[in-house]
Amino acid sequence: MSRIPIEVIVNGVAQRAEVPARRLLADFLRDDLFLTGTKRGCETGVCGACSVLLDGEVVKSCLSLAVQADGHEVTTVEGLAAGEDLHPLQEAFAEHGGFQCGYCTPGMLMAAIAILHETPSPTEAEVRAGLSGNLCRCTGYVGIVESIMAAAEKMRGT
Amino acid sequence: MTTEARLDGAASTIGRPTPPLNAREKLTGRALYAADFKMPGMLHLKVLRSPHAHARIVSVDTAAARALPGVHAVLCGEDTPDRLTGVHRKQHRILATSKVRFVGEEVVAVAAIDEETARDALDLVRVAYEPLPLVRSMDEALRPGAAEVHENTGNLSIEYNVERGDVDAAFAGAALVHEATYETTPQYPGYLEPMATVAWVDGDGRLVVRTSTQSVFLQRNRYADALGLPVSAVRVIQATVGGAFGGKVVEECNSLICAWMAHRLGRPVSFVNSRLDDFLGARSSPAERITLRMGVDAEGHIIAKEVRILADCGAYEGLATHVLQVSLVRSDNMHRHLRNVRSNGRLAFTNHPPRGAVRGFGGPQAAFALNSHMTEMAQALGIDSVDFMKRNAVRAGDTSVHGFELGSAGLAECFDQVSEAIGWAAKRERPRDRGTKRRGIGFAGAIHVSGNREMGNWDGSIVTARVTADGRVTLSTGESDMGQGAYTMLAQCCASELGIPVSRVTVLPTDTDLSPYGHGSIASRVTILAGNAAIRAGRAIRGRLLALASEVLGVPEGDLTIAGGEIYATSTSPNRRLTFGELSRLHLYRHGGEELRVTATYDPPTFLAMSRPDQYGNVAPGYSFAAQAVEVEVDTETGQVEILATVVSDDCGRALNPLAVHGQTCGAAAMGIGWALYEEMKFEDCRLLNGNLADYTMPTAGSLPHIRSEIVESMEPNGPYGAKGASETAMLPGAAAIANAVHDAVGVRIRELPITPEKILAGLRARASADAAPGASHA
Repeated sequence: MSRIPIEVIVNGVAQRAEVPARRLLADFLRDDLFLTGTKRGCETGVCGACSVLLDGEVVKSCLSLAVQADGHEVTTVEGLAAGEDLHPLQEAFAEHGGFQCGYCTPGMLMAAIAILHETPSPTEAEVRAGLSGNLCRCTGYVGIVESIMAAAEKMRGT
Repeated sequence: MTTEARLDGAASTIGRPTPPLNAREKLTGRALYAADFKMPGMLHLKVLRSPHAHARIVSVDTAAARALPGVHAVLCGEDTPDRLTGVHRKQHRILATSKVRFVGEEVVAVAAIDEETARDALDLVRVAYEPLPLVRSMDEALRPGAAEVHENTGNLSIEYNVERGDVDAAFAGAALVHEATYETTPQYPGYLEPMATVAWVDGDGRLVVRTSTQSVFLQRNRYADALGLPVSAVRVIQATVGGAFGGKVVEECNSLICAWMAHRLGRPVSFVNSRLDDFLGARSSPAERITLRMGVDAEGHIIAKEVRILADCGAYEGLATHVLQVSLVRSDNMHRHLRNVRSNGRLAFTNHPPRGAVRGFGGPQAAFALNSHMTEMAQALGIDSVDFMKRNAVRAGDTSVHGFELGSAGLAECFDQVSEAIGWAAKRERPRDRGTKRRGIGFAGAIHVSGNREMGNWDGSIVTARVTADGRVTLSTGESDMGQGAYTMLAQCCASELGIPVSRVTVLPTDTDLSPYGHGSIASRVTILAGNAAIRAGRAIRGRLLALASEVLGVPEGDLTIAGGEIYATSTSPNRRLTFGELSRLHLYRHGGEELRVTATYDPPTFLAMSRPDQYGNVAPGYSFAAQAVEVEVDTETGQVEILATVVSDDCGRALNPLAVHGQTCGAAAMGIGWALYEEMKFEDCRLLNGNLADYTMPTAGSLPHIRSEIVESMEPNGPYGAKGASETAMLPGAAAIANAVHDAVGVRIRELPITPEKILAGLRARASADAAPGASHA
């Protein structure tokens, strides 16, 4: 299969690669760049564990091709913390029971960033609606919703 | 939920909300799950699964697959060890030979340089099957003349009979006897991480398996047994586990096939389930048909109970026998006046995929039937259902009908909490809704074990603790953290004994080479058993530290204070302070010195009852209880059920870490709601039709209400600081609470799960036609 050159900025770092046309973005991130924080959970875009940000929009990296990211910016869970300083959402997820097994967590954090980007002061219902593309079996979503509400408050500086 | 949790761990002690020890690694994407590992020369494994539910394997042609470049092995059942594997009854080889018994059974395994090549190779394998008559249902299975899933079994996997007291006399004297039959459906565990394993052979020839598991030791024993190896030739290491819910104990076959392939090829092999693989290969909970006949006396006390269960084992016997045993008898122990019980349970082989352990382990099935039944009886008696449930709830100090000795029991308090939180006193008086949308409230309660004496007549737990040269404490356990927070709990227990913050404690992942033995994280056993062991380990370390400090400082132990990772004399001032690090070094670097390391074991004072025919005795050191209240709104035009509010109260003895307890409660309740309303494994001729997360609909954030979680602290005398298990109980009451709420709302009693709009509309139509019939009377 022919290999296609791509240039993608991943977590702020420019990456050049040649990938097969059918290479999934999830596989490119995990297997080529060793960013294994992005998870595979269903291969059908339902569970959301593979969610990443593409130019700030949430996409399912298991349904996206690496070549589609050519010329764009990708943010994964590895790109959230600034050195040792966790993102306010990461802190909130720890303090409010936002995760247990942690497998859905990278995708949840990405979805949460997109929710708060769109709606900095969301209602609980808006947060729940915004998480419709992400499944969690551990928390019953209670801790996740509370984490996002708490982070929103912190990020607004109120 | 409380929000005092702090990530730095400095403020955490027993009873304080404490974030998981591994929060940072999980939140930054650095936690490594089994599918994240790569090794030099690693091959990728894929399996070809049977498309038939029951068929003879006539021939397997692997020539074309083997010829594909990049393929290293194409192996079938004949290539596997000829010894059989299984939990108790050994019934299958690592890959199927001669015949297949369910759709999804593993027939051929391919190892190739990458997943795509392995998948391409599977497409080239040709298997010829000769279909056999299907055993489609548990009823069909036990009919005379039925085809047999396993020869000479009559399709009966196991039958239990338990009888106590004088059941017939008790029924004869009862003021009310009620009988009804309930049916439950299988539930897929639904962990977000599909099963994954990487296995290899070390330089010394030993097999190493890194996998997603609830129990490294049970898995090690299983691989060794299946491969004919001594246990010392197998090492199992736990990867970060992305949820398990009972599905990652000893029944899944992903890790076994991967271990065997790596052992056979002598090369690293990775096997990552696709979600479809996982649906087809995972054990779901057994479907059960439960007939209850219960008698109460004039005071509303349950005095007689007869339970008959027929359960669907699927094609192979794993843990389903134990699941049935739990469904059959455990809930009897909730009734404090009950002394007369008769139970009969039968487990039938069918050509459905094998059923086994899922969170709650038979409890959810029993709780659905029992709480539905008790609510019907309360109505017939004209008693408030909560009052009826409380009146019959066991109390601390009781010994139940099957010999459970209840050191603590907060079931009645759980009912008080949830009925108050849902506003029952006011809402039961409100006029009934008469419009299209009608509200109703339902309740249910449950019991679960914390530990269960069974394997090898030992239900203990071992914790090893050592103080490192820099003064940290490192704990080692054989129990697994699957996200439930076990390691944080162990750190809390040990830290509190040593007066240090949990941030100074490291808990190592389980590894059969390095960890002390443990049965693993099953039966909600870890808090009560390993928690006690961690306390003992902490006390032993404390004793060693104080003795050494006394010697060094020349001060009697009684005059020493231990705080903040230091020891100093209490009375003299100023004085020298010894840090844990200094003491650890002094403990080793001296004549006859040794590392500051202790091993502590706790084996509870329980009785090996489950393996006896009469099943009588105290199986667990503690029993957890839960109650749930649900308020629903039922749309009488669409049959849709909306949960307006729900409250779950968990008697976990004492909440060592409320953050984790609330998390477990909310997650378990969500799983219960999913089972009751949304999740249904659909089969046609024993073939799973919806093996993906789009069609098997687990609850989303938007489909669930805010689940309110409450805690009852009944202070279990056997528990670490009073704690019991808090992981499974809250899974049990949801389905019945919803069914009871639906009945309260629209008068339709759903006795078969799931509770679908179709069933509610059919029930409403049946009511309407009964009402319209001549001479109909309104109750």
